[in-house]
Amino acid sequence: MKLISLVIVLITGAILIYGTMDMPDWGDPDSPASLHVSPRYITKTLEETATPNMVTSVLADYRGYDTLGETTVIFTAGMVCILLLRSLGGKISKLDT
Amino acid sequence: MFDFIVSKYNYWMYIVLMMIGFYAMIGKNNLVKKIIGMNIFQTAIILFFVSIACKKGGATLPIIKHAHGAEHAIKVSHYLNPLPHVLMLTAIVVMVATLGVAIAIIIKIYREYGTLEENEILRKLK
Amino acid sequence: MIDQAPILIIVVPLMCAFLTPILGQLNKKLCYFWVVSALTASVVFSVITLQVVLKSGAIHYYLGNWAPPWGIEYVIDHLNALMLVLVSSVALLVAIYSKKSVEQEVSGKTAFYTVFLLQVVGFLGIVITGDLFNLYVFLEIASLAGYGLIAAGEKGALIASFRYIIMGTVGACFYLLGVGYLYMVTGSLNIADLANILPDLYSSKVVLVAFAFFMVGIAIKMALFPLHVWLPDAYTRAPSSASALLAPLMTKVSIYVMIRIIFTVFKPCFSIETLPVAKIMVWVGIAAIIAGAIMALAQTDFKRMLCYIIVAEVGYMVGGIGLANPIAIKGAILHLLNDAVMTLGLFLVAGIITYKLKSHTLSDFHACFRKIPLTMIAFVIFALSIIGVPPTGGFFSKWYLIQGAVIAQNWSFVVVLLGSSLINVILFFRIIEIGYVFHDSDQNHSHGEKKITINEAPFSMLVPTLTVAISIILIGIYNQEIVKNIIQFAVPEL
Repeated sequence: MKLISLVIVLITGAILIYGTMDMPDWGDPDSPASLHVSPRYITKTLEETATPNMVTSVLADYRGYDTLGETTVIFTAGMVCILLLRSLGGKISKLDT
Repeated sequence: MFDFIVSKYNYWMYIVLMMIGFYAMIGKNNLVKKIIGMNIFQTAIILFFVSIACKKGGATLPIIKHAHGAEHAIKVSHYLNPLPHVLMLTAIVVMVATLGVAIAIIIKIYREYGTLEENEILRKLK
Repeated sequence: MIDQAPILIIVVPLMCAFLTPILGQLNKKLCYFWVVSALTASVVFSVITLQVVLKSGAIHYYLGNWAPPWGIEYVIDHLNALMLVLVSSVALLVAIYSKKSVEQEVSGKTAFYTVFLLQVVGFLGIVITGDLFNLYVFLEIASLAGYGLIAAGEKGALIASFRYIIMGTVGACFYLLGVGYLYMVTGSLNIADLANILPDLYSSKVVLVAFAFFMVGIAIKMALFPLHVWLPDAYTRAPSSASALLAPLMTKVSIYVMIRIIFTVFKPCFSIETLPVAKIMVWVGIAAIIAGAIMALAQTDFKRMLCYIIVAEVGYMVGGIGLANPIAIKGAILHLLNDAVMTLGLFLVAGIITYKLKSHTLSDFHACFRKIPLTMIAFVIFALSIIGVPPTGGFFSKWYLIQGAVIAQNWSFVVVLLGSSLINVILFFRIIEIGYVFHDSDQNHSHGEKKITINEAPFSMLVPTLTVAISIILIGIYNQEIVKNIIQFAVPEL
C-alpha cells in the first residue's frame, strides 16, 4: 500500500514538474497573468471602486460573488459540525456495540 | 541552465511540498496524519498561486500609495497582481472549512471506535 | 423578474438556507415546508430560464454588472438550462420525500435541512457558472455539504464519509491546480475568455498538464471506475434522503463539468484530436461498465448494488462522450437526464424499503409486492428503464449510445453495453423474484400462514416516487422532442 502510494505520488509530482517547463519565469512582469485581466484591477481600482487596496476591491466588488460563496462555505462547515456533533451527549466510548 | 533552475525552482519547491502532503493523504494509516497531509497539500497550492502574483523589478503590495494625495499615474508594473491573492483568500477559507468538517468527523469516529488507525477501525466495523 | 431569473435560481435557496436555522429555533416542523417552498421557487425560476434559453439562445448574466473577464458571469445555454431544471426538480422531489425518513433516521432535523439546501445550492452553482474559480467554490460547497449529509447516516457512515473527504479533497485540489496552471499561462478565469485564448497555447506543456489534472480531479468526483472506491460505502451508509439527493446528482453534475471542460474550455480539436483522451475515455468507460456490473452482481445489499450500478452508468456516459461523434454525445447527454431520474427513483424506493423494513439487504424483500404494491410497481418501471426496455427513457439513450458506437465502429463498446443490460436483467429480476415470495420459507407451516397485509409507504414518500416513475416513461415517450429542442443544441460542434 505504501509503495503504491509512493509510486502514485512520484508520478503526479513528475507530471507537475513537467508542466513547469513551459511556465513563465518566476516574478516575470511580462507573464500572461500580469498582463491580461489584472491590469484593470490595478489601474482602475480608485476610479471604479474608490478603494486604494486592490485586494479589497477585487474581493468585495469585482469578484464579490466568490466571497459570497466563501461565506457560504464557512456556513456549510458550521452547520455540518452542528449536524454531526450536537447529538453527541456524554457517552465517550461504545466500543463493543 | 542555471538561469532556468533559478527561474523555476520555487515552483518545484511547492510541488515537492504538495507531494509530501499528497503522500500523507493516501499513504498514512492514521486519520489525523491524513488530515495534516491534506493541510500541507492545500497550503502548498496556496503558495503556488501566490507566487504567480509576483513581479520582479520593484513591484510592491497591491495597495495604492498616496491614494488620497496628489494625482500621479498608476503603472501596472508598480504593483503585484492582486487576483491570485483574492483567489487564495477564498481558498484558505475553503481549506479551513474542510479541516473543520474533517476534524468533526474524526472526533465522532474516535468516540465511536476508540482509535484513529484506519485498519483498526475497519476491523472493528466487520 | 424574468431578467433576474438566472440568479434567483441560486439566491432563493441560498438565502433560505441562511434563514433555516433561525426558523428551526421557532418551530422544527416549519423547516420541511420552508425547504420545499424554497426549492419550488428554484424549480419555477429554472423552468423560466429554460424557456428563455429555448426562445432566444444563451443567456449571459453579469454578476455585479462587471464585464466578463474581470467579473464573474453566468452563462446559460441549452445544456446548462436542462441541467438546472434537472437538478432543481430532483432536489424538490427528494425534499418532498424526505419528511418521514428524516424523522426516522436523522437526529438534528434543522441542521440536516440547512445542509440539504446548501447541497442543492452547490450543485446549482456548479452548473450555472461561467467562471472556473467560481465553479471551484461551489464544488467545495457541494462537497462539504455532501460529507456532512453522508456522515449523518447509519453505522459505518463516519469512516465512509472520512474516506470521501480525503478522496474528494484530492479531486478538488487537482481541479484547483488545473485552474492555477491555466491562469498562469492565460491570466484569465472566465471560461469563454479562456476558450478564446487557449488555441494559441495548445502546444504548451502547462496547458497539457492542466487538462490532465482537470480530468483526474473531476473523475474522482464522478467516481469513474478506478477512482470510484469512495462511492459505494458513502452512498450505502448515508441517510436515505441524503443518498437519494447525492447519488443521482453528484455524478451527473461532475459529468456536466467534464463535458464543459472537454468541449467548451478546450476545443474538441485539442481534447479529441491531438490527445488520445477520447480513446482513453472509451476504454475507461468500458472498464467501468464491466467492473460496475460484476460488482453489482456480487452484492447482497440493495443500496450497495445500486451504487455499483451508478459506477456502471458513469461508464456509459464517459464512454459515450469519448466516442466523440454527435449521436453518441447526444446519447450521453440524454442518458445524463435519464440516469439521474432512474437512480433517483431507485434510491427513493430503497428509502421507502429502509423506512418500512428498517433494513436494505436484498433478502428482506420477501413479499414486498404484497406489502408495498405501489412502490414495487414504480420499482419495476425503474428496473425496466435501467435494463433499457421501451418505452422507458433508458431504452432511447442506450439506443443513441449504441448507434454512436456503431458509427465510431467501436464494437467492444456495443458488446459491453448489451452485456451489461443483460446483467441488469439478472440483477433486477432476482429482486423481483424475491419480492414475489409470499411465504417465509423458514417458518412455513409450523406457525401457520402469517397474513401479509398491505402496508403502503406514507403519502409524502409515495407521491414523489410515483411522479418519478411517470416522468421516466414520459421522458421515454417524448425523447424525440427533448433531443430535437434541447439536446440538439447542447451537442458541441465536432
